[in-house]
Amino acid sequence: MFVQGLMFSHVMFGVLAILFGVALFTDTLNACEANRERIKKLSMAVAVFLVLSYLIGGYWYVVFYGAERDIIKAGQWAWAHSFFMEVKEHVFFVPLMLGIYAPIVAYRNDVCRDRGARKLLLTVSTLIILFGIFMEGAGGIISKGLSMGLMGR
Amino acid sequence: MNATMDKYTAGFGLSLAVTSLLNAILLLVKETNAGLMNAMKAALGHHWTTHGVIILTLFFMLGFVFSVTKFSEKWDSGKMAWLLVFTALIGAAAIAGFFLPHLPFAGGGAK
Repeated sequence: MFVQGLMFSHVMFGVLAILFGVALFTDTLNACEANRERIKKLSMAVAVFLVLSYLIGGYWYVVFYGAERDIIKAGQWAWAHSFFMEVKEHVFFVPLMLGIYAPIVAYRNDVCRDRGARKLLLTVSTLIILFGIFMEGAGGIISKGLSMGLMGR
Repeated sequence: MNATMDKYTAGFGLSLAVTSLLNAILLLVKETNAGLMNAMKAALGHHWTTHGVIILTLFFMLGFVFSVTKFSEKWDSGKMAWLLVFTALIGAAAIAGFFLPHLPFAGGGAK
């Protein structure tokens, strides 16, 4: 169950980062004194979820993925690894750094009064959401690639 | 009108832009240079682990370095937002473009 738990946690924290990213975007769009502290907490939550997803997913990838990669590469959907996993594992660093950057913008600026900072945080949260959706979709295709590989055995 | 930026917002924003591009460049170089790929594998046991440590270390290091420069006086949040969009998309597109030949419609992976 350990491996399944790792995979579940990796995906769950990724999804939570997207959901909190949407909440951060919405709150920032309507930034005022009433939700100032919540914006800061949401930005921190996005960062924490992305870092957790990175560490857990990274551990799983380095330790357990090798055997699954061989099955995928031998199957009908070899490109699930050679395109989607390769792109996913390297592009992931961009939303990860965006996630770490979000609390810097939220804590170091007054997003209620500073229109520019608000625009910056909206941009950062939008990019996190879009990259996050791509990550989830790519993860789904990689899983399907493994199924296709197993079916061919 | 956008006001002058906070120094850490500017510094880490610029660092994010630079490392987003360096991330793609490091990938292209290691995938086309077996020597570097092997060195990265040997360094921390897996090339991806080494890749991540390099990129994240650069992000924090450059972030603090850029934060103590006067960069923040010359930039505003609006320009930074566009810079982040362009560099994130260019970095991601370069990585996707490199692996694109592996997709079935490009002739790769089809059986």
